[in-house]
Amino acid sequence: MDGERRMRNEEILAVKNLAAGYGSRHILKDISFSVGQGEMIGLIGANGAGKSTLLKTLRGILPLLEGKILLKGRDIYALPARKFAREVAYLQQHVEVAFGYTAREIVMAGRYPYLRWWERENAADEEIVDACMEYAGVSELAGQTMYAISGGQRQRVLLAKVLAQQTPILFLDEPATGLDVFYQEEIFRFCRELCAAGKTVLMVVHELSLAARFCSRLLLVGQGHILADGTADKVLTAENLTQAYATDVQVVKNPLTGHTEVFTMPEKSDRRKDRLLGIILDGTLSAGTAANQAELRKYGSA
Amino acid sequence: MKHKRYQSGFFLVIMVIVFFAVSLLSLSWGQIDIPFMHVLAAFAHELGLPILANVTVTPEQQAVLWHIRMPRTIVGLMVGAGLGASGAVMQGIFSNPLADPGIIGVSSGAAVGAVLAIALGLSEISMFYMPVFAFLGSLLAVTLTVSLAMRHGKIPVMTLLLSGVVVGMLLGAVTAAILTVINEQKLQQYLFWTIGGLDYRRWEHVFLGIGPILGGIGIMLLMARHLNILVLGDIEARAVGMPVGTYRLFLLAVASMTTATGVCISGNIGFVGLVVPHMMRMLVGPDHRQLLPASVLAGGAFLVFCDTVGRIIVPPLEVRVGIMTAFLGTPYFLYLLRRTRRLER
Repeated sequence: MDGERRMRNEEILAVKNLAAGYGSRHILKDISFSVGQGEMIGLIGANGAGKSTLLKTLRGILPLLEGKILLKGRDIYALPARKFAREVAYLQQHVEVAFGYTAREIVMAGRYPYLRWWERENAADEEIVDACMEYAGVSELAGQTMYAISGGQRQRVLLAKVLAQQTPILFLDEPATGLDVFYQEEIFRFCRELCAAGKTVLMVVHELSLAARFCSRLLLVGQGHILADGTADKVLTAENLTQAYATDVQVVKNPLTGHTEVFTMPEKSDRRKDRLLGIILDGTLSAGTAANQAELRKYGSA
Repeated sequence: MKHKRYQSGFFLVIMVIVFFAVSLLSLSWGQIDIPFMHVLAAFAHELGLPILANVTVTPEQQAVLWHIRMPRTIVGLMVGAGLGASGAVMQGIFSNPLADPGIIGVSSGAAVGAVLAIALGLSEISMFYMPVFAFLGSLLAVTLTVSLAMRHGKIPVMTLLLSGVVVGMLLGAVTAAILTVINEQKLQQYLFWTIGGLDYRRWEHVFLGIGPILGGIGIMLLMARHLNILVLGDIEARAVGMPVGTYRLFLLAVASMTTATGVCISGNIGFVGLVVPHMMRMLVGPDHRQLLPASVLAGGAFLVFCDTVGRIIVPPLEVRVGIMTAFLGTPYFLYLLRRTRRLER
């Protein structure tokens, strides 16, 4: 199915033998993949595996150490900054907004790549900004300062800003992390809607179950490489995940919902751990509590 | 949103009125009192307007007005406006409300230049040596700070702040070293310069500073929309297609040059560059398209107002404007800080 999809859709982004990292330290090596229009790709992997590094490198924010990144066949480093920003929008992980900018002022920043340096935003820009805010469900926050709004709303304002850039491609670095489950699902649904409309989304995701449900394709990043690439069924296997997360992982298909769910396996009884816990509990770890620990472990494995 | 626009437009109109009212006050008040009507009449006569013809301006009033108060007021407006705009730009570049041009070494560089001019006895030869030395000192200090912070063609904000602090300390030490070897009279002269003032400013000072200051303000006003993006931070600005390094360096240069010019014609005047933009941000919001013009007008009006009050508060003495800015600015600033909601987290 994965192969079919790529045949059907036009290739919009191609990564060839990419190496990336900080300074001379390579975190990612020899990464190659291509992205077709309309795909919703989830970048998954353990903390520190290099998912964000990959996304930043693709956006040209971190230097490309080796290889090539082609956007619609053109090297991204040959693209002028403003033109690149009209092709790819990027939502970073933590956005700190200094001073009391209002939500609308932030969304308006998305129009920057369309203006020559002396131009001001015109009525068309205003209209686009209003439409994006309405689509993201944050119209009523327009005049509020970014300090005054909650995490979930804030993330939707930032999504509206990314949409105001009117780019065919969106790079989103953990757009849903730290939000309530409902907000999380909403953001994923939102992205799927955009992909159905023809946009291409590449997003870093932590919640594997959500990634499995909503993304059309997953890239599993680990050990400096892409360990697996394809649909959720293909990528989210116990074998792949155990390798990527360096811990025993179990993958279960929930018969009720039909969704893939991922669990870590509990560690086996560990004398060293018990001893450390004893120190933490100031030597009060009695036989009784040890029994409780054993009990807890059992529940963990359910 | 429309409501807000109207408000800030309205606010700017008020600022313009305040700007001119304060100028009129500054021209009128002082040891020799010149009533408002006479000030206006003097202008009308000079411009050949057929109004206020019945008001006679005495030659003494005329002389005080043209040779003392006019240049003094214009220098005040100019320097204040320049400091206000540069302060707003610096706070934008650093995304930090505590930044001012002093933070990258403008004032410490100017101090070294001034003290050198004094120590070498040049300041007694011509009044132009000290401003020129102060100007060169500032530019040198800023160049040093920026080149220390520059890595692979980028200027990380944190590194820039730190190198500004380091350069400031180094130049402070140089100034202190020179001060320890010069005589008391020169020491007095330096002290006088450190506390900026507008007394004895002549038309020469106006002509010396007007080009760079007005030019600098003009450029900064033109770049207002870009500052709004730059404030969002490095990555955010690059993500919407801004060549961050180029813009940051350019704005840094313009703001430094404007401040350095101000410092060189009126000495070191603290507080205006820091507090005026901050006050204006609380009143009109952070959009630089409103913030910058507001800071320009408020900076000029505030400095001239401080100077005027300093002139009449303890006659026949004058309190230098550098002292007055701190005395008058602090209470108002504290009041705003407590009242405002816009900066609250």
